[in-house]
Amino acid sequence: MNRLNRKYVLITGASQGLGRQLALAFSREGAAALSLCARNLDSLRVLKREIGEIAPKSKVIVIEADMSRPADIERLFAVTLNEFRGRLDVLINNASALGPAPMPFLLDYPLEEFQTVLNTNLVGPYVAIREALPAMFEQGGSVINVTSDAGIVGYPGWGAYGISKFGLEGMSQTWAAELAETEVRVNWVDPGSMNTAMHRAAEPDEDPNQWADPADVTEVFIYLASDESKGVSGRRFEAQKFNPVEAGR
Amino acid sequence: MSHLLDFSLPPNLSAKEPPERRGSRRRDALRLLVLNRQTGEVTHSRFERLYDFLVPGDLLIFNASRTLPASLSGWRASDKSRVEVRLASHLSDNSWLALIRSTVPQDCTVSEEKNSVISFEFGLNARLETPHREIPGMWKVRFSAGGSELMDLIYRLGEPVRYKYVSKPWELNYYQTVYARDPGSAEMPSAGRAFTWKMVLHLRTMGIETAYITLHTGLSSYLDDELDRRHPTIAEEYSIGAQAASKIGVARSAERRVIAVGTTVVRALESAAQADGIVRAGHGYSGLMIKPDYSLRITDGILTGLHEPTASHLELLSAFISPVFLNEAYNEAVQLRYLWHEFGDLNLII
Repeated sequence: MNRLNRKYVLITGASQGLGRQLALAFSREGAAALSLCARNLDSLRVLKREIGEIAPKSKVIVIEADMSRPADIERLFAVTLNEFRGRLDVLINNASALGPAPMPFLLDYPLEEFQTVLNTNLVGPYVAIREALPAMFEQGGSVINVTSDAGIVGYPGWGAYGISKFGLEGMSQTWAAELAETEVRVNWVDPGSMNTAMHRAAEPDEDPNQWADPADVTEVFIYLASDESKGVSGRRFEAQKFNPVEAGR
Repeated sequence: MSHLLDFSLPPNLSAKEPPERRGSRRRDALRLLVLNRQTGEVTHSRFERLYDFLVPGDLLIFNASRTLPASLSGWRASDKSRVEVRLASHLSDNSWLALIRSTVPQDCTVSEEKNSVISFEFGLNARLETPHREIPGMWKVRFSAGGSELMDLIYRLGEPVRYKYVSKPWELNYYQTVYARDPGSAEMPSAGRAFTWKMVLHLRTMGIETAYITLHTGLSSYLDDELDRRHPTIAEEYSIGAQAASKIGVARSAERRVIAVGTTVVRALESAAQADGIVRAGHGYSGLMIKPDYSLRITDGILTGLHEPTASHLELLSAFISPVFLNEAYNEAVQLRYLWHEFGDLNLII
């Protein structure tokens, strides 16, 4: 408890799946303030009420934003930094778009859908980090990008999603290298197979019970968001293989 | 104000595009006019050579205010006629000062009535509470939403304040510095616009310190030439954090130079300086008008844009350097076709 005491956190894609569980886990760990964004504002409001019961002292703001749209991201950060008085310690780029389901082969991929997926999963996090940096540059901060094993292996049928995650992995490495001399840390986490609506849509013929509950993969995110991981940057983590003891906890 | 300097600005010296859209693809591709405060010596350089004029230990202070999309389009509840509400300043009681003008017919400032209501999309309303005593069309306005909700709606509804000399309606992100953090400026604090992150990072490796304060700028024009010549001051909200105050204090004690990136930083620091000359962390409103005879207490140098002949900024600059030297330099800049305004070239006085 309280490993995230005094932390100001922004989580994208927070209305469901992993993002929702991260918001709940972070509030349990005493995060001082949470800015939660997604396209579905009603779900975010429900989540806000739930957090209010778990952690009544946490400040929570919910913002409707589509991460494929730079103007929405600009608004998201303006509202957040206005409310947080210019402070932001942790950014989690979690929002992802899968694209059409069932997922077509690249040869059949509609171009517009391809671009939307890249905008959400790659360009969106890029813009978000740019927007977060002014708040983190002097005080330090932790950026955590959510990736996938489809970002290191080209699986057939994972189309734009996999390509966007390849890009996200490369982008994370580049950000980490460029910010190496600062107190801003950039790491990326593969949460592994999870029982989420997105994964069920991607693989409708698989048994979702074999996949992890997203509530069970939050530990590495708490570690990376907290001061326990001070100095850790430029690294890829696999959430379901994360060992807190090896990480020094 | 009277004309402090004797120069005229040809219209073709207005920067119409951001530098990265003028062909260079770089936001720092600007010219730098460097003036020696003591001798008036002029050096013509490039902004990317700024390092040549700084030394390790210098402290650069940036304004981290983020530009709002401060131009909101709405309609009068009484007759549905279209109006522009141009936000100027957020007030301490959570109301705003805003310039109200009719958009049909264009550019016309009309008489509004107290308690009249302006409506916007998304169900937002604004009630006009009190007219400004000196600025026609400027009202104290209270919105039906506040806090995060209002900020969200401003971003959904607004456009950046733009002037006629720009070549196209540039999007809001062109009116931001790379380090813009706290939303609140009616117009961009443009002196820092040319800085890239690469440059800011390089400054640190050179031993040049940086710190960030916030002053939310008001409007540079009230859309009335006569009024703009007098330019009545509106107090601007500022805040200085403990880290910046500490860095300034240490630099001053060590007799290192404190260099303001923009006139806004000078106003904030000089306003926040106590009688003992120490800048303390805090929040306030600055209505400080810095005149040529003002004795600067905190700032040793300034990086700024090039200002119009009637701009009050020139009076502030004359607190750094003799108006005679400034006049010579500005005339040289006109001859050498430097570019003016928010996307234009820069001037270091040090």
